[in-house]
Amino acid sequence: MGNYLARRTGQIILTLFLIVSVAFFLVQAQPGDYTAVFAQNPDLPPEVRAQVQAAFGLDKSLGEQYLVHIKNSFTGQFGVSFQHYPRTVMEVITERLPRTAVLFLTATVISFYVGFALGKLMAWKRGGLFEYTATVSGAVLFTMFTPWFALMMIWIFSFQLGWFPLGKFLDPLLWRDAPVAANKVFNDMLMTAAAFSVFVLFAILASRKAGGRQFRQWLVPALVIGSVMVPVAWAMSGIGYLALDILKHMVLPIGTLTVISFAGTMLLTRNSMLEVLREDFVMAARAKGLPERVVRDKHAARNALLPVVTSLVYSLAFAIDGSVIIEGIFSWPGMGMTLLQAVRSEDLPLVMGAFVFIGIFALVAHLIADLLYAYLDPRIRYQ
Amino acid sequence: MGVGARTNKAIAALTIVLAMVMMIGCTREVIKEVEVPVEVTKEVVVEKIVEVEKEPEQMQETPSTASEGDGGPKVYQLGIFEDLTTANYWSYMGPNGTIWNSYVLGGKPSLYTLSAQRFDYVPSVAADFSTPLKEENVDGVTLWTTEVPLKQGVKWSDGNDVTAHDFVFTAHTVLDLELTGNWSSVVDPKFFDHAEALDDYRLKVYFKEKPGLARWQFGLAFMSMLSKAYWEPVVEEAKKEANAIEQQRILYAHVPENEPSAGGYLFRKWERGAFAENTKNDDYYFTGAEVTHYANGAYAESKPGSYEFTAYGDPSGETSLEYTDGPFVDSTIYSIFSNQEASILALKKGDVDFMLNPLGLQRGLQQQLEGQPGLANIENPSSGFRYLGFNFTKPPLDNKAFRQAVAVLIDKEFLTGTVLQGVAIPMYTTVPEGNGFWYNPNVSLLGKGLSRAERTAQAVELMKDAGFTWEKEPKVSDNGTVEVEGEGLKMPNGEPMPTLEILAPSAGYDPLRSTFAIWIERWLKDMGIPAKAKLTEFNVIVERTRDPENFDMWILGWGLSTFPDYLEAFFHSRHFGGDGHNRGGYSNEEFDALAEALLVETDLNAARDQVFEMQEFLADDLPYVVLFTTPILETYRDDRLAFPFTENLGGLQRTGGSTSTVAIK
Repeated sequence: MGNYLARRTGQIILTLFLIVSVAFFLVQAQPGDYTAVFAQNPDLPPEVRAQVQAAFGLDKSLGEQYLVHIKNSFTGQFGVSFQHYPRTVMEVITERLPRTAVLFLTATVISFYVGFALGKLMAWKRGGLFEYTATVSGAVLFTMFTPWFALMMIWIFSFQLGWFPLGKFLDPLLWRDAPVAANKVFNDMLMTAAAFSVFVLFAILASRKAGGRQFRQWLVPALVIGSVMVPVAWAMSGIGYLALDILKHMVLPIGTLTVISFAGTMLLTRNSMLEVLREDFVMAARAKGLPERVVRDKHAARNALLPVVTSLVYSLAFAIDGSVIIEGIFSWPGMGMTLLQAVRSEDLPLVMGAFVFIGIFALVAHLIADLLYAYLDPRIRYQ
Repeated sequence: MGVGARTNKAIAALTIVLAMVMMIGCTREVIKEVEVPVEVTKEVVVEKIVEVEKEPEQMQETPSTASEGDGGPKVYQLGIFEDLTTANYWSYMGPNGTIWNSYVLGGKPSLYTLSAQRFDYVPSVAADFSTPLKEENVDGVTLWTTEVPLKQGVKWSDGNDVTAHDFVFTAHTVLDLELTGNWSSVVDPKFFDHAEALDDYRLKVYFKEKPGLARWQFGLAFMSMLSKAYWEPVVEEAKKEANAIEQQRILYAHVPENEPSAGGYLFRKWERGAFAENTKNDDYYFTGAEVTHYANGAYAESKPGSYEFTAYGDPSGETSLEYTDGPFVDSTIYSIFSNQEASILALKKGDVDFMLNPLGLQRGLQQQLEGQPGLANIENPSSGFRYLGFNFTKPPLDNKAFRQAVAVLIDKEFLTGTVLQGVAIPMYTTVPEGNGFWYNPNVSLLGKGLSRAERTAQAVELMKDAGFTWEKEPKVSDNGTVEVEGEGLKMPNGEPMPTLEILAPSAGYDPLRSTFAIWIERWLKDMGIPAKAKLTEFNVIVERTRDPENFDMWILGWGLSTFPDYLEAFFHSRHFGGDGHNRGGYSNEEFDALAEALLVETDLNAARDQVFEMQEFLADDLPYVVLFTTPILETYRDDRLAFPFTENLGGLQRTGGSTSTVAIK
């Protein structure tokens, strides 16, 4: 296992190097540079552009710039963003990342949960009306033109019905006197989610060790206590109303993301589940007289989980790069919009920083997925 | 109960306790803030130093979400499409010069300004016009000097007076730290030597060379002044660094806290990615100032008990505009929207009162708002033009007759009216008609009002006179049908006409310019001129036009300043090559002389005569064929807002949403 990990780490570094190199040359392949904007202002003489180019190091040769960016990428010193001068790339990323993480991680988890639950039922009730209805609706929603669909969601639920805000992640009138910045609330929300997840995980592990009837005896109260503790803690914090405002703004984009993306997981689960249902151990479970629900959820679904978990791990990793379309339409400025604007304006340090960040997450997710394979399926062992 | 069961229970209990501790731990910091409210600000400042502005003291009492209807603050809600990139004014005028920053951060005091709507050059912090420029010998060096009296009583929001020292400090900081970007267009080191405060309210400015209107009246005199009391320590800290770039970095990195303002509003808060807020400056000196524009061109401004100012004739007779300076709202909130569709819904719903966008609204979106209760649509010409440029280093583009023939062939009225259904406004001159003071109404408008047949005939005539020949001469019937396509066109030197490429932005970037390019290609082909429209990315055009070998004709556009010194930047031969704005390489000694004279002219009326002459020259010589401009379409909530005027070159966005004059109904 040690050798395997070392080999994979080497591969990750090599792949990251290739990602960074390709990103650099793709951005450089665009005509002009960040200072092109100065060429379009008749009040600014060309010398001004030259001065700014020198200040940003854009007067250096391509090779020199490449070496500087490669060195920066692997030392974590991404330098200063051109667009946000003189803020560092890390400052910009750490500002945008929590917003994207809160929205897209939540949406990904919900979407996978919905997809997994429906996929499980579809396979179980194969050939029925439910399967056909779910397949057709899932396929239709999955292939929906996202910008149009997202705008329709806003038009129906925000404008016509008035149930949700019209995009953005907060209400300026509520936040103008807020004692803290939105990023603090986002970070606290992430911390809460992480703590709650750890809590649930520990509770499940502990309860499972207790086994049998005691499993429920411990787990249910623990979950209830945990679920009550979170809102209570937020209510006591004095900034709970701000978190609530963000949650209110999250409902529609999460709903939209879930509706357009659950079908992938649903169909994957269905196919995986159908394979598992043909296995002998499922027949054996039925032969033992176990209830249908137990056969479905404990014996079949758990074994069908393997490809779904892998897919989830990848999706969680890629959730951090957000979605330009969803962020754009819901005015939710996160990593997706940041990357797009950085590429469009040729803000090289920010582009490189964002790609390295996303690349590391994606590559590490691949490694975790491989390790999870070995954990979930005892037949798999890495040499 | 066995040992195993007890162990399990213990593990489970421990797990719950551990998790609880973690949860409480992660929220403890928050709870602390509530218990010790004083520390909240401290913590925010330390942890989020670049994210939250400390609240100005006067805003502590402001209720949060009340609207004016229930006795709360009057909040003017504006929408913008991109986030700010800085709250630091030095940085905004330097590398972060975005239009979005300008909407929020604008409003710093300056000596002079342009009046609303008519753009008269008038004093702001200055008490009167500056003295005529005169030559002086200073320590053996000949310099040009002028003096400016300042109004007394204009105050920064920290209670200090706005004085000549603030001007001197700002201008010298730009020079000393070698600030670039927009700073260099107001403080031109080639001209500006230094400034001196004769006393608090008398300023003397020294120039190395005689500055024209562009360098002094429409340049340095418009420079935004920053508070010396606030910024001096930051600048001194920056000056400790060895090189200019590091000095600039330190200056730009400073995050202002309670920076004093002398404008109508104080910058209060910036929630990155969401909104920014300005609040009313209760000490704004010009609140209550009454401004009157007279139809005879006169300008009058007065504040009862403080000052009176008149200029440009006898302030009597019919008035064309009257308004009182505010601000009349307590707060302006700039919410960030990432797409126009959502912002339109917000406007319809009443979440915002007005959208600020330098390009205005898309026509289709504005049409959706027509007839909607509580909304008013307005349309103003934009201050700019789209043009067809020629590469003068390649024949036949250096041939005046050829360029005139191309200009005659382009039926702008047909394209803007019939093809583009009125979404563009045909334009012929290099100074927009809306820029009344500088626009020459007598410029020849080549091809205007001609039929297709007349255009073709006139173009053929022009080219034949210049020595172009056809094997088969083009002919168009009276009803516009091409009867004979031109063939075998040869240039005056006998060589066949080369294929001419017309670079233009793609339809995705600008459908108007791409439409023009396609039709120009067609009309040129009808003449036997082998033209090819190449629709491509904006940046590709900018880059290709840097090298004269790489292009023939191109279609791009310019946004224009009020004072038309851009004519010099676009067409003077010294701006040819590399990043110079004279991409086509136009070179004419006569024009160069006119342009140089304009740059050093100090008299407004004499400068106008020069600009008139330059316009006539350019309309004949045609380094550009000016094609069209676009209207700025805007919509605002007229059930909430009352503007003193809505007719304005560049629309209401050009005034930043008229925050200092708008009233909430």
